[in-house]
Amino acid sequence: MSLPLAFSEPAVSIKARQYGDLFRRYIVPQMPSVVTLGVLLFASLGMQLVLPLIVRHFIDEAQVEAPLGTLATLAAAFIGIAVLQQVVQVFATYFSERVGWTATNNIREDLAGHALSLDMSYHNDRTPGEMIERVDGDPNELGKFFSLFIFEMLGSVLLLAGILLLLLREDWRAGLALTVFVVAGMAVLTSIRNIAVPYWKANREASADTFGFLEERLAGTEDIRSNDAKPYVMLRFHELMRGWYGKALKAGLMSSIMFSTTMFMFGVGSAISLSLGAYLYFGGAISLGTVYLIFHYTQMLVMPINRFTQQLDSFQRASAAISRILELNAVRKTVLDPPAGEWADLSTGSAATTPSFRRKPESSFQALPVEFDGVTFAYGEEPVLEDVSLRLEPGRVLGLLGRTGSGKTTMTRLLFRLYDPTAGVVRVGGGDIRRMPVKELRQHISMVTQDVRLFHGTVRDNLTFFDETVPDERLMEVIDELQMRPWLSSLPDGLNTRLLSDGGLSAGEAQLLAFARVFLQGSRVLILDEASSRLDRGTEQMIERAVDRLVQDRTVIVIAHHLATVRRCDEIVIMEHGRIVEQGERLALAVDETTRFARMLETGLEEALA
Amino acid sequence: MNTWRSLWRLARYQPRFFAMLATRVFSIALVPQGIALTTRAVFDNITNEQAATVGFWSLAALLVGFSVGRSLIIFWNVVLSVRVEFTFATLLRKNVFDHVLDQPGNRALPESTGEAVTRFREDVEYITKYLQRFSFALPLVAFAAVALYIMVQISPLITFAVFLPLALIMVTVSAATRWLRRFRIDNRESTGDVTSLLGEMFGSVEAIKVANAEGRMLGELKRLNSRRKTYTIRDTLLTQALNSVFQNTVTLGTGLILLIAASAMRSGSFTIGDFALFVSYLYTVGWLNTEVGGVLAEYRQTGVSFDRLRRLMQGASPGRLVRHQEAYLGGDLPEVPYTARTEAHRLDLVEVDGLTYRYGRDGKGISDVWLRVPRGSFTVVTGRVGSGKTTLLRVLLGLLPRDAGEVRWNGEPVGDLAEFFVPPRSAYTSQVPRLFSEPLRDNILMGMPESRTDLGGAVRAAVLEGDIEELEDGLDTVVGARGVKLSGGQLRRSAAARMFVREPELLVFDDLSSGLDVDTERELWGRLFARTDATALVVSHRRAALRRADHIVVMKDGHVDAEGTLDELLQGSAEMRRLWAGDLGEGVAARDR
Repeated sequence: MSLPLAFSEPAVSIKARQYGDLFRRYIVPQMPSVVTLGVLLFASLGMQLVLPLIVRHFIDEAQVEAPLGTLATLAAAFIGIAVLQQVVQVFATYFSERVGWTATNNIREDLAGHALSLDMSYHNDRTPGEMIERVDGDPNELGKFFSLFIFEMLGSVLLLAGILLLLLREDWRAGLALTVFVVAGMAVLTSIRNIAVPYWKANREASADTFGFLEERLAGTEDIRSNDAKPYVMLRFHELMRGWYGKALKAGLMSSIMFSTTMFMFGVGSAISLSLGAYLYFGGAISLGTVYLIFHYTQMLVMPINRFTQQLDSFQRASAAISRILELNAVRKTVLDPPAGEWADLSTGSAATTPSFRRKPESSFQALPVEFDGVTFAYGEEPVLEDVSLRLEPGRVLGLLGRTGSGKTTMTRLLFRLYDPTAGVVRVGGGDIRRMPVKELRQHISMVTQDVRLFHGTVRDNLTFFDETVPDERLMEVIDELQMRPWLSSLPDGLNTRLLSDGGLSAGEAQLLAFARVFLQGSRVLILDEASSRLDRGTEQMIERAVDRLVQDRTVIVIAHHLATVRRCDEIVIMEHGRIVEQGERLALAVDETTRFARMLETGLEEALA
Repeated sequence: MNTWRSLWRLARYQPRFFAMLATRVFSIALVPQGIALTTRAVFDNITNEQAATVGFWSLAALLVGFSVGRSLIIFWNVVLSVRVEFTFATLLRKNVFDHVLDQPGNRALPESTGEAVTRFREDVEYITKYLQRFSFALPLVAFAAVALYIMVQISPLITFAVFLPLALIMVTVSAATRWLRRFRIDNRESTGDVTSLLGEMFGSVEAIKVANAEGRMLGELKRLNSRRKTYTIRDTLLTQALNSVFQNTVTLGTGLILLIAASAMRSGSFTIGDFALFVSYLYTVGWLNTEVGGVLAEYRQTGVSFDRLRRLMQGASPGRLVRHQEAYLGGDLPEVPYTARTEAHRLDLVEVDGLTYRYGRDGKGISDVWLRVPRGSFTVVTGRVGSGKTTLLRVLLGLLPRDAGEVRWNGEPVGDLAEFFVPPRSAYTSQVPRLFSEPLRDNILMGMPESRTDLGGAVRAAVLEGDIEELEDGLDTVVGARGVKLSGGQLRRSAAARMFVREPELLVFDDLSSGLDVDTERELWGRLFARTDATALVVSHRRAALRRADHIVVMKDGHVDAEGTLDELLQGSAEMRRLWAGDLGEGVAARDR
């Protein structure tokens, strides 16, 4: 990867170039639509300007008592153009939306893919809500800006300019007076446009506080009731509502300043244009129709002025969104694939020039050895793992024991290259995992955590992670292998039953589902973080059977919480403060009363590991 | 109670509502009418060549005057309408909240908390906005009536020839808004699908990486993204098309007037002033249609909102939702009453007699439970998961409604358990106690006057003093979802302090010690026993608690399996022996043995 050359150039040009990049990548491919949009926009503006001219003509013709036919033609032309203008407007909206959405959807997908590829250390510092903001919120802001910019800003400015130019053409005094009016109006509205923003922010915060309060209290009615605290809670409710009321009132008053100013301008504008029209008419400079034209154009001026000033800030918001998008794009990952040609062969550990590991898992299914060699790791300053070494032969089951925070989970994460060790080497199948493509490595290791992640989708989507190419027969095979058929048939729509991300399945059922994922993946190393909570007996038995089946021909590391699981292990490793404090064959450790393991069995696992 | 009567009852609660209506008649009906008529007079003056007269200039001044007046009255309108809206919203929310807080624990809400909060927010807003809409629609109707009268005076032919087709267009277009609503729903759902997928995706980055599923997840995102694009464009286009028609009634109407009034204008019987007046009336047609149409269309939805709120108030009469109570938006706030403990609250003996409760369908629960808790005793209820320990406590305290049985306090049967078993008689810490996003001090006191309580003593009794020292702001540290996150053990002990500070006669705790390390647990029980007159009823399966118990009750499948002292039970009860020995007390361990 080369460093950005732009570092040596002035900052402004970097920015301009990056904006240009975005434009080239997402807008240029849609050039025909953009051009069509421009043509439609100008057509629509032109028609809006022509309509009052027709009225003027009509009035003047009526004054000189022109034939009815002429008047009727003018009126019909007016209606025709008005209708056409609406149609053009709708088409313009269509093109603008299409360009905007195509661009932002592409940005969204690119950003999501990029963000997903970043290191875990990046994601650990960020909540999903924050990521939604960056991947969906910012492109949305940009998309909104695009259509606002086209219609509100550009449209308004062109309309204003058109009106003023036409007025100048009619009479320079009228044009000048109204230009002054427009400039003054813009200045006033621009200076007060943000006047209400901080008040609305305070209002929104008060609203969030109040509903946050209600949500917590509604979830805690039992605590409130058993502590006899209802009067206290009601008092706090009244305090919050009263506080919110005060803020809402201020926000309302502040935003009405904007509104009433606009209305006031409307009135003043009418007065100016009528007086001016009368003055010029009686001076013989203009016709009666032109008096009406000036009046009509003035009425048309106020809304674009208003829209334009309201949208001034969308520039800032959009440019903030763009810089956040660029910022996210600039984040680089550190867990990288080895350069091609230096890939290790998973099965032998020797370096190979071509990726020789391309076998189908089922063609020759064999477990792989796993090895930690002097591994040290720290998320920040404090090391979480220190000099950990262990070797697990193919097909063996290792029980990893230790309290929360002793480093068990970190070990499993290193195995997946979610992080790279600070020192030491992790080997799978004999080879340093840093010398395998990450995708390949992960193809051969599976993990089932306590906290199984489910997605909004069907059972099938959740089993395959939305891969529609996996045939039903394959899914049913796995389900049968794990003896999950009775569970599946208890669901209303079988594989097509929709699951919710936050519920619907018990912890045990979710684990079963995760086991099925392991089978579908066909991995040869399994990491199992057993559920520490208690499951109901029916599910418990199904899980037992499934685990029996899973450990058969895999190398397994299990973070155990239950005695029954520990009994399945060949070897035991006990962790404390990031170090291995005891390690050996399970049976040997269990019979020797001086070992920690024997003492643990004595105290009871649950209390010993709490 | 139907929707009109509910709305009327609400409106009557706040006389300012009618003041607001009156102000809007002024700002929406009178002033615009004045502006329209003045403008017409100005044009007529010009046409009749009277522009240089005093009359003309005073008309121009009048126009400016109207504008200033309208701008000022807008402020007064805001003051009134915010007050009115908040009064209605506060009253509705208070009535529901008040009722919910009176319900037994697990029955307080028929829906999830999230859903309930949505109703507190959106349904209440819907109703208050509806009343606001009313205050716009009525003056507009008045304006329209006057305008119609004036137009008919000028030219009945043009009036009907122009406004009748416009009205027809409006009605037709309004019918199309039903489509719009469906498009809008599709749009919102497809947007929601995208954000919820992104949320799940970034909430499960580790799981996705581990499963090598990045590509497949992005494929799903692409699919949902393009669906959202289709739905959004469809929605925006229809909205734009409808808006075009609504907002451009002015343009279309102007064209119609020109067409129909051509000969009248030529002859001068329909003046330029009349033309300007008609056009300015056109401006309000769209607005009138939106507001009046809205009042009619949203009536049903408002009824639905009333229903949704009423459904949160289980067992309440329909009138309770709109019951008139103090909203306290101004004036003095109510005081929190304080009940001091007296001899009358003294506990000598609590007896439970044949207590029975069954959960809805599967009939699980407790049946025919007997229990005796004398003053100063330490009673432990133990048993496997699902044996009914927690249910027993909750039924006893009235947090679940009993199906049968009796509870006696000093020999006297207690009627309403929930009303009776509160401080200073008893206090309770549940298995999963909740703290709120407030300073720790407020969480413990929950309205108890600090001057009359022994806060420090309660904190020590809960073995919490060390933890508080470590918190940055001590007792003033904000905890809970939007503050410092406490560990499970700290949370339980804070809830225990909340219980101790109330100095109740009877302490009831459910599994207080889980999540505590052995030393802290020992300390906690030790300090509790130092309080000689404490009477405690405790659910626990931990040895530290069982060893100290005066009396142990072993629950199994919802009934009392055995009771006695620890030694007696270890001798006589197989279930007790198993619970004592088993690290898990669960099926796995039992089968292994």
